[in-house]
Amino acid sequence: MLALSVRGIAERKLRTALTAFAVVLGIALVSGTYLLTDTINRSFDQVFQTANEGVDVVVTPKRLFSIGQQGTTPQPLQSSTLTRVRAVPGVAEAAGTVFLPGQIFDKQGKPLTATGAPMFIYGLTAPRFDPFVYVKGHRPGASDQVVLDSFSAQRAGYRIGDTVRLAGKGAAASFRLVGIADFGQASSLGGASVAIVQTPVAQRLLQLGDSYTSIDVAARPGVTPPQLAARVREALPATAYTVRTGSQQARADANAIKDQLGFLRTFLFVFAAIALFVGAFLIVNTFSITVAQRTRELALLRMIGASRRQVLQAVIGEALVLGILASAVGLAAGFGLAPGLQALFRAFGADLPSSGTVIEARTVIVSLLVGPLVTLAAALGPALRASRVAPVSALSQAASPPSGRAARRRTPLAGALAAVGVALMCLGLFGSTSGGSAAGLIGAGAAVVFIGVGLLASHIVRPLALVVGLPLQWLRGVSGRLARENATRNPRRTASTSAALMIGVTLVAFVTIFAAGLKSSIANAVGAGLKGDLIMQSAAITQPVPAAAVGALAQVQGVRTVSAIRFSKAIAAGAGRPDVTGVDPATIGRVLKLEWVNGSAATLRTLGAGGALIAKGYADEHHLKVGQRLSLTTPTGARLRPLVRGIYEQKVSLLAAITLTNAVLGRDFNVAGEAFVMATTAPGADAEAVRARAERQLASGYPGVKVLTNQGFIDEQSSQINQLLVLFYVLLALTLLIAGFGILNTLMLAIGERTRELGMLRAIGTSRRQVRQLVRYESVITALIGAVLGVALGVVFAVLVTIPLRSEGFTISIPVVELMILLAVAAIFGVLAAIWPARRAARLDVLRALAYE
Amino acid sequence: MERDRLQSHARPARGVRRDRPARPSGPPAGASEPGASEPGVRDAAPAPAADPAVAARAPDPGVAAPAVDGAPAEPILVAVDLHRRYGEGDVAVNALDGVSLQLPAGAFTAIMGPSGSGKSTLMHVLAGLDTPTSGTVTLAGTELAKLDDRRLTRLRREKVGFIFQTFNLLPVLTATENIELPLKIAGRPVDVAWRDQLIETVGLSGRTDHHPAELSGGEQQRVAVARALITRPAVVFADEPTGNLDSHSSAEVLALLRRSVDELGQTVVMVTHDANAAAIADRILVLVDGRIARDETIAEPQQVHRLMREVR
Repeated sequence: MLALSVRGIAERKLRTALTAFAVVLGIALVSGTYLLTDTINRSFDQVFQTANEGVDVVVTPKRLFSIGQQGTTPQPLQSSTLTRVRAVPGVAEAAGTVFLPGQIFDKQGKPLTATGAPMFIYGLTAPRFDPFVYVKGHRPGASDQVVLDSFSAQRAGYRIGDTVRLAGKGAAASFRLVGIADFGQASSLGGASVAIVQTPVAQRLLQLGDSYTSIDVAARPGVTPPQLAARVREALPATAYTVRTGSQQARADANAIKDQLGFLRTFLFVFAAIALFVGAFLIVNTFSITVAQRTRELALLRMIGASRRQVLQAVIGEALVLGILASAVGLAAGFGLAPGLQALFRAFGADLPSSGTVIEARTVIVSLLVGPLVTLAAALGPALRASRVAPVSALSQAASPPSGRAARRRTPLAGALAAVGVALMCLGLFGSTSGGSAAGLIGAGAAVVFIGVGLLASHIVRPLALVVGLPLQWLRGVSGRLARENATRNPRRTASTSAALMIGVTLVAFVTIFAAGLKSSIANAVGAGLKGDLIMQSAAITQPVPAAAVGALAQVQGVRTVSAIRFSKAIAAGAGRPDVTGVDPATIGRVLKLEWVNGSAATLRTLGAGGALIAKGYADEHHLKVGQRLSLTTPTGARLRPLVRGIYEQKVSLLAAITLTNAVLGRDFNVAGEAFVMATTAPGADAEAVRARAERQLASGYPGVKVLTNQGFIDEQSSQINQLLVLFYVLLALTLLIAGFGILNTLMLAIGERTRELGMLRAIGTSRRQVRQLVRYESVITALIGAVLGVALGVVFAVLVTIPLRSEGFTISIPVVELMILLAVAAIFGVLAAIWPARRAARLDVLRALAYE
Repeated sequence: MERDRLQSHARPARGVRRDRPARPSGPPAGASEPGASEPGVRDAAPAPAADPAVAARAPDPGVAAPAVDGAPAEPILVAVDLHRRYGEGDVAVNALDGVSLQLPAGAFTAIMGPSGSGKSTLMHVLAGLDTPTSGTVTLAGTELAKLDDRRLTRLRREKVGFIFQTFNLLPVLTATENIELPLKIAGRPVDVAWRDQLIETVGLSGRTDHHPAELSGGEQQRVAVARALITRPAVVFADEPTGNLDSHSSAEVLALLRRSVDELGQTVVMVTHDANAAAIADRILVLVDGRIARDETIAEPQQVHRLMREVR
């Protein structure tokens, strides 16, 4: 029986290849994702190993939790701590260093990287701890000298002797480039840019006074790193410091990064899962058609004594062989895809390091396991149907596949599936679960809805085909008419073929609608929530606005009131890990329209250091009321018990769950920079003119900030959303591609079935062109059915999923033009998918087609 | 009743059907009246005896060459020294090995022969579906060899009607739509009167909205006959039209073909290996090994059986 399966694949190479393509793509995404992320992870391992080479023990401030890129860092280490470490017996040398995000500007005065990879300012440490290898020039030997990593120097076109501007938390300053360094063996620090200056210079730029971000310690001969670490730990209070050996530190640093990169892996796996899911639809369809076409052959097998089980095995075997072959090809294709994915992310600003390719056994195993499993699962239904073929079918004239009880129960089952799917989504959306499991529920729910709708679709194929096919019929006459009839000849087949496309279109429609909603929400929020006219923010998303820039903006002629907002995060006892915003109570009311649930403008005046305002959503979720005290732990470990003085509507998402004063965020959260700065202009002043003046005046001191009008801010947010949208489109295009292959495959099989009809049509005078049209229009109709269903489902999903966001001011808006374009794109996919089948149909030899049995 | 009449016409019509319909493309009102039989001595080669009716009834203007009254009917289908070889070298098969023939307009010709005699190949070559290795085919004044695929398609569309053994109707279309299909493909308007007349003639009134799956084999083939006639083609080619039918339905379909010749002046070429079917034709060509072994005008069925015995 296995021999028969293999023979079946060998004889139907084309169909097998087309079917396998879906699995190949899905598995290529799986293996490519593994390869890419493993490689990135190892690169970071190497980076941190290099960074801690020659370091026996590292002392860092205790970090309670990570709070993302921008904003806070733990309290620095005082110089007194360094003195205490030096006094520990067994210490050969100890040196403090500074390594913090900062800004490096290119020759045009723009940040070297605007998005993605971070930029750092590094204070030179003792030579034995220095991980950099100076390939050109020398270490910075004076306070006006800087060294850049060779990757950044090359990218910005800097040469030794050039002037390089840097900025930390204050104004930018100029330095002379005296050297170019490699990071250990690598030309960059995992894609990040580093400017090396003398430590006092770094401390000044980053406004650290005489404190450090870490202390590197070397042991005397005879003292092992663990021994030394233990001694240092004893000498320092455990609550404020983390003491690790060099290798422990390398691991800890690498793990911190890997956690963040885990998101990337999950993100890519989601698309791999979607691709495989769509592929499964394609496999179900292909195998169903094949089984139907081979009914007589299978019946003959049964007649000559094959058991049901053997027939089942033959079909399952074919699926298994196909799955294994496709997975192997997909695994190999992953090697090609991984650099492609990396290039894609680089194009979108995320420059990730990778040196060499890391192939874990797990990559191979998972790839080779998932592919056949998906194929098997998809082929099971058709295989069972094949096994139910009655031997007597071999004798009957019309070879029709058996339609048993399953067929009758199909519709209620499909309806139930769709309902269960929606229920799952609702559970994820409105249930008490949070984060990952909620997303999982929504995803699984959506998948179940897809299956249900895909099954139900056979009922609406006919009316839909009428709607999308009639224009074709009017325009193209008989070809359009026949195409429509052909598309509805086997509604189930058409339904499952277009369902594959439906999935991709649904997701594209969903992200399009979601993004449109996001854009209009931002516009609404700015329009309805801001009283100010200007917004100042950092040009690089990884950097805050230097606090000093706020004062500089206030000096600009035409600017009236300036108010800054700071971001951080806290651990709230019994109330999650809320985002925290800091505001200036004296001015915030003049730039922001606050909608009070509890409180008034006067509440702001009494806020003070011990007060807090909270968002209504957060208050409701955790049953908090005015007059209660919150219990917060800040990232620096400080404990606060602010009194809730007011509750605001979170319509404008500029304010987070908890709002404290900027002073508190500066003192207890160690937030020194501003996330946003808003300003009003003097009455009668032209906002755009003031904006231009402000940017001009700030350019010399604070090249890293930009000043926008409200509209400019909306436009910029929109363009960022659009960029992200393109990334989604690129990845979802894979799904559409698979669905396109599904249409191609179905058309090929249909043409095979209708060979004799096509022969007749040609004999009675149908031109090749008309035959091509016939096939093309059928394809377009099939594609449009999928697209119409997909757009409808996308709208439903978008409306459903954004319901919980309504309270945060999310407004849904249906981008009609974009969705129409999506339909047109689907139609084009139909045309493209039909090219080959149409040509094949047109080339049929009339005589042979007529004699075809 | 229509059917009964057709059938009663088909069976005993042996001696009767020689008469040429003296009716220029008019409606077949009253069907053909038996009588005035003129035992048609129509030789194969030269043009048939002067027969004004043939000339007058042009199925399609410009198709039948002789448009002048009284002029001898030009043959509507002429084949000269047709060879058709399949394969190369040792395995080459000469399906046609020097076939020449002339078919006058309005003739009902049966091509017979044992399996592998080349009769199907001959029909395909005559109809422009297959290309001869050498030799020429001239259909309604057009030499097929000179046509590219596009022109051949147009010629088939306008001048040729096909009837297949397996009916080959489109299952997605109704009977009427199947009948109209060749006109729709050609983008020509449907002559509703002509269509309805055909539907009535083939006895499908009342079944027009049915899909092929809802029709019997005989009914399907009658749809196919109407489809072949809807374009008023110069020649109708029928490939074993009764091969898949029971005897009753066979008789109906054959009678229809006969009537199309008698009443409409249609030229019909039918490939068959059924002697009873062939007996309804005016003339029988018997192919053996790719050559015309016999070419006879027939008067009675027994003649056909005798012919076949001799050839075998």
